[in-house]
Amino acid sequence: MTQDHAQPRLTRRKILAAAATTPALATPAIAQGVLKGTKLTVLAGQWYVPQTNTMLDELAAELGRDTGMEIKIERFAGDELMTKTAATIGTGRGADLAVGVEFDTYVYAAKLNDVTDLADDIGRTYGGWLDSARATSMINGRWKSLPIGQAPAAWNWRTDMFAAVGLTKFPDTFADLLAAAKLLHAKGTPIGMTLGHASGDGRSTNYPVLWAFGGKEFEADGKTVAINSPGTLAAVEWYKEIYQHFIPGTTAWLDPDNNQAFLASKVSATVNVNTIYLASRAAAATDPARKLIVDNMDHGQWPSGPAGRFACYNVNVWLPFASSPNKAGQREFLKAWYSRGFLPKWTKTGQSYFIPQLAGFDAEDVWPADPKLKIFRELNKLNRLPGYAGPPSPAAAEAVNKYILVDMFAKACTGQLTPRAAVDWAEKEYQQIARRRTRT
Amino acid sequence: MSTTTNAPGRPKGLVRRSFLTDLIDNEKSLGYLLVAPVVILLLALVAYPFAVAIGYALSDRTLADPGVFVGLENFELLWENQIYRQTLRNTFVFTVGSVIIRLVLGVGLALLLNESFRFRRAVRAAILLPWIVPTVLGTMAWLWMFNPNFSVLNYILVQSGLMKTGFEWLTDPDLALFSVLLVNAWRGVPFMAITVLAGLQAIPQDLYDASSIDGAGKLQRFRYVTLPLVMPVLLTALVLSIIWTFSDFGIVYGLTKGGPMNATHVLATLSYQTGLASGNIGEGAAISLTMLPVLLVLIIWQLRRIRRSTVV
Repeated sequence: MTQDHAQPRLTRRKILAAAATTPALATPAIAQGVLKGTKLTVLAGQWYVPQTNTMLDELAAELGRDTGMEIKIERFAGDELMTKTAATIGTGRGADLAVGVEFDTYVYAAKLNDVTDLADDIGRTYGGWLDSARATSMINGRWKSLPIGQAPAAWNWRTDMFAAVGLTKFPDTFADLLAAAKLLHAKGTPIGMTLGHASGDGRSTNYPVLWAFGGKEFEADGKTVAINSPGTLAAVEWYKEIYQHFIPGTTAWLDPDNNQAFLASKVSATVNVNTIYLASRAAAATDPARKLIVDNMDHGQWPSGPAGRFACYNVNVWLPFASSPNKAGQREFLKAWYSRGFLPKWTKTGQSYFIPQLAGFDAEDVWPADPKLKIFRELNKLNRLPGYAGPPSPAAAEAVNKYILVDMFAKACTGQLTPRAAVDWAEKEYQQIARRRTRT
Repeated sequence: MSTTTNAPGRPKGLVRRSFLTDLIDNEKSLGYLLVAPVVILLLALVAYPFAVAIGYALSDRTLADPGVFVGLENFELLWENQIYRQTLRNTFVFTVGSVIIRLVLGVGLALLLNESFRFRRAVRAAILLPWIVPTVLGTMAWLWMFNPNFSVLNYILVQSGLMKTGFEWLTDPDLALFSVLLVNAWRGVPFMAITVLAGLQAIPQDLYDASSIDGAGKLQRFRYVTLPLVMPVLLTALVLSIIWTFSDFGIVYGLTKGGPMNATHVLATLSYQTGLASGNIGEGAAISLTMLPVLLVLIIWQLRRIRRSTVV
């Protein structure tokens, strides 16, 4: 299993050789030496697979040596990155590039460089962009950011606990999931879905439920609120019922809580990216408790609802700040990132943690050999973004940041409001957000 | 600029005086000169950002768009919003609750620490720990104690047979608000205790001796000697505590991010969520400015009180 971690070390020669064989991403600026003495500051977070952070550092070091450009990677934990990015956008100072999330392109569009030519080149190189990539980064036909990848969230489930109630497969429909939750609860091994203000898991856990029952936040224009529908009400009613069989406390869960509950064998299933499994696998050799998890867990896709099967993944993008005085350096960095010498290796190292939304990657050698991670190749095709049926607009971002959908479910689940009243409450909040965002 | 003068100890005749010398010699201009650095600092660090914040609050500015003037529309929209109204109520409950706990425990601790006992100095130092520990560290420790599934407090309560399942510290909306205000109070009690202790130690022993001779008991000595003399310090600590609690961000954000169901949102966390996370700077600034009237009243009252006591 450990062979998945072993990646050939990046070298300057390899990157340059790869770039040379990829005309679209050729790097004339390196040859001309125009970047020598310039500076480039990149804002990044901490990806949960540590090797992917190391590879970013190595890429920056190699590119710096090749070009003479001084590249600094500044790392910020969690929400601090968002705050730093907002400060950079607001002041026009402090960085040239940043790792952003799915809404940032829409929120900051006016302050980002147009990178359509690069996006077209990258698309041609890797078989075209997936729809979710265009949805996050393309505004009015122009690319204002470049997608890094999406992190598929799967159902992490304990095969031994499910087997103990007679289930050998993860439920394929929402009705089956509810039935399974009842059995597991009765057996003392309940499931848990995040209903707290968790910035990542709150989104990836709750939006798919809404969509599976036919609910949606906005119409395709991104302005007309569409949350109040029979589909949404059905989703809330399903949630209210299954919540009675959850582990207590999920309305207070923040992002680490579902991981901790699963790792402590307190829940038999929860929604998460592959990091529970990767962390357990890494520790399994020395920690019997983690080995138990690794041996008895698997990943399942979202069940199918009356309206279909959906998923909602966190997306990362490169934000090229228009305020950057080093546009050439910015572009050179992005070319190096998307080069054949780097991107496939970075993707493989993450073992389906973040997967670039490029159609050609389905045929690339980037997929982990571990059978328990194989499902992520399929999951990668499911992503739908908040704001649907509209774009991931500032209004959609505000609804996510204010946890409107999560709280709608939570209010009904806890009995604070009836399902009908919870939907009405959410509609009012969405309408106020839409009104504020469209007043000009 | 030069002038004719007979400087003592110098040969008679024309002596060149600089502009600076004149400025320093003139009492009025010297006063302005001495105050100038503070005024410049206040203008740059307080007045300018404050004016900018007001400007933002009256506009529909976003992080990427300078926006246009919208008057009081942000405030009107906020007032119509259920989350904002809930946040406003939370903020007052959070502040009043926390300050009452700080006051009662702080004064009680100060009275205890003012007594003579072994290891008094060590205890006084230890009392300061919650105040000294960085907010993030303290909050992380409390997060584990209140954890929905691994609460050490609940573990103790259940293992000792006092409860069957423990408290829903951060899950139950009402209890969650109490939990966050408890952590805020935990951080603030040492400041109140040490400040009041300083006030207690400044009270001359003669006054206690005289009141004892007059037949005053312990309660009467506290009521008629301790309380009046410690009151100026106590009020200062109280006002500062209210201001700090009213604008607290870190504890709530670290423990709940305003959840569950916005039960613990305070103005500072909602302002962050709206202004920075969602990029809606105008509305975020308007939320922040909601704190202004309350804080302004407190600050004016405190300044007038200080001026009165200085004049007296």
